[in-house]
Amino acid sequence: MSVVVTPEMIGQVVISGILSGALYAMVALGLALIFGVMRVINIAHGPLLMLGAYVTFFLYSRTGMNPFLTVPLAMAALFVVGVLLQRTLVFRVVDAPELSSLLLTFGISIALVNVAQNLFTSDLRAVEYITGSWSVGGVALSKPRFIAFVFALAVTGAAFLFLKTTRLGKAIRATSQSREVALVCGIDVGRIHMLTFGLASALAAGGGALLAVIVAIQPEMGGVWTFKSFLVIVLGGAGNYPGALLGGLLLGLVEQLASLFLTTQLSEVVAYVLLVLVLLVRPTGLLGGRQT
Amino acid sequence: MTLKGTIALTLVAALAGGSLPAAAQGPIRIGASLSLTGTYAKLGKNQHEGYQLCIKELNAKGGLLGRKLDLVMYDDQSLPPTAVRLYEKLITEDKVDAVMGPYSSPVSEAAANVTEKYKKVMVAPLAATTSIFKKGRKYMFMVISPAEGYLEGLVDMAAKRGLKTVAVVNEDTLFSKAAASGAVELAKKKGLQVVFTEAYPKGNTDFSALLTKLRAANPDVVAAATYFDDAVALTRQMKELNVNPKMYGVTVGGDLPEFYDTLKQNAEYIYGATQWEHTLPYPGNQEFFDTYKKEFAHEPSYHSAAGYAGCLIYAEGVRRAGSLDADKVREALLKLELKTALSPSSGRARRRSPCGPTTSPRARRASRRRPGTHDRTRRGPRRPPPMPPPDQTAGLRRQSRRSKIPAMSETTEP
Repeated sequence: MSVVVTPEMIGQVVISGILSGALYAMVALGLALIFGVMRVINIAHGPLLMLGAYVTFFLYSRTGMNPFLTVPLAMAALFVVGVLLQRTLVFRVVDAPELSSLLLTFGISIALVNVAQNLFTSDLRAVEYITGSWSVGGVALSKPRFIAFVFALAVTGAAFLFLKTTRLGKAIRATSQSREVALVCGIDVGRIHMLTFGLASALAAGGGALLAVIVAIQPEMGGVWTFKSFLVIVLGGAGNYPGALLGGLLLGLVEQLASLFLTTQLSEVVAYVLLVLVLLVRPTGLLGGRQT
Repeated sequence: MTLKGTIALTLVAALAGGSLPAAAQGPIRIGASLSLTGTYAKLGKNQHEGYQLCIKELNAKGGLLGRKLDLVMYDDQSLPPTAVRLYEKLITEDKVDAVMGPYSSPVSEAAANVTEKYKKVMVAPLAATTSIFKKGRKYMFMVISPAEGYLEGLVDMAAKRGLKTVAVVNEDTLFSKAAASGAVELAKKKGLQVVFTEAYPKGNTDFSALLTKLRAANPDVVAAATYFDDAVALTRQMKELNVNPKMYGVTVGGDLPEFYDTLKQNAEYIYGATQWEHTLPYPGNQEFFDTYKKEFAHEPSYHSAAGYAGCLIYAEGVRRAGSLDADKVREALLKLELKTALSPSSGRARRRSPCGPTTSPRARRASRRRPGTHDRTRRGPRRPPPMPPPDQTAGLRRQSRRSKIPAMSETTEP
């Protein structure tokens, strides 16, 4: 049974799309960083996001902390986890064929999900901190989603600024452009890899922490985020950081508009058809991928 | 050795086997796969605990056929293909003596192909979609009331209150589709106008666009055929998008204490369907509730009760058959009437009784025992569902044998 689409509904859906798109962008930026710097596709990205969500959930439920204030803590915690993962496991596959890195991160992802299932159980958990919405000109603006959107923008902005202006950020970009030259210029590439993985995990965790306030969480929530992030970075151009931002917003909008004009069932189909189209027309992604 | 000798020896062995103490024989191994993780985890876990409690109690009473019972359990992650693999493994590799059903209609539907192939009796306590039991399947038994009736109470109450329009949304899987189509049928019959329907994929977490459309349709009633996870997400996002219908009800999920624990005040004033409540005066029901709560440190849901009852029903079938042989157990189950905590009498239809359209046991049963719909303002004692009278009957039924039964839409039964 269909409903006549009004401009108001389109406005509503565009807002929903932008709100979720910013979150996609933030999480996907982490994946883009790892891919750009190490040429590793991190399948464990989603599960790392899940761990971030649980940090927020437990801090909120045990200490009653404002869940939005737990975002930096979740990011810090997962930064450490990311660095440890890189130090112990991921560095082994940086120069290996891509299949090895896929297998390794796939393994890590299974391990993380199962550890979480055992430690936290599979029960659905939610942070009922803030609900409801503001009404802006007939359009409902969800309170938790809007605050999460602001946080996602802030974190993504800070990450861009960091990459653009700081010495460390430049070193990361240099390593991503050419590892050999970076090495010659005196950049400790091993250390950069470590930091990048930490930073990427922190971005995922930030996304997870924000998600915990928006949706109910469970240990398997991460899987779909790995795929969405991957979709986003391919759309935007693999290893291209502004591309991740564009891809994220685009995916958010396309999903929502497809659900509005078609059905929720078809929105995912439309997102992947878009991916195929982009790959056909611009194989390097919308903003161009990193040259190899 | 002559043939005669062999037979004689076998006979002696059989006789000796019959009189041996239980310990000398291995336990009866009952295999099952349940959704312990994934989107149906909460519900599958309750069913698992129902099985566990049933087996524990049976063992405390000396087991079955003089043998102890043992549960071999796997996790199908709420995925039908995984369940298929696991039932294959249970039957062919683990060589379990019997199987019990998994959680949910979609998973039972998939697993049924395996259990039928190997001619294993499967009591499927949490498969509510009637179509699963048709298709010429011989060894499957249904326990709970059909999916089509889950939203009946909601639509009924809405019609009585003079509400006019209804929107029906559902997860696009077997059970939820059946529940949604049941709701649509009934709504039309009760004179309500169905203004919006849409299905969403399993595991969906973003309902913004769907709810935007739903809000534009402005229904008095929202009837959602959900499981637990999507019920939670849908409810939260309705608040976020200012979707405030006069009545809102879900199928699975709203009956669980965890629904309130997760959603807090947002869980108020939502109708939920249940197949069972602990306040119903069924024999053994209070004992089941108390033991369960003590054993697992939380309240049982209807999934627990159905799992518990399904396991008891199977065990009783084996006891009466005096054997684990699938055909004998099947015959025994077809004749079985059993009182369990889930229902006072499991009035299974006599197999070949002439079932008139309105007097068929299922129709009668159904008219009394619909999944109770009730206000879910938990905290404080749970109110029993308003509709089912205490003499309601329920339970086991075999669909495939009951071809004379009128179609769902003709009897308004659940």
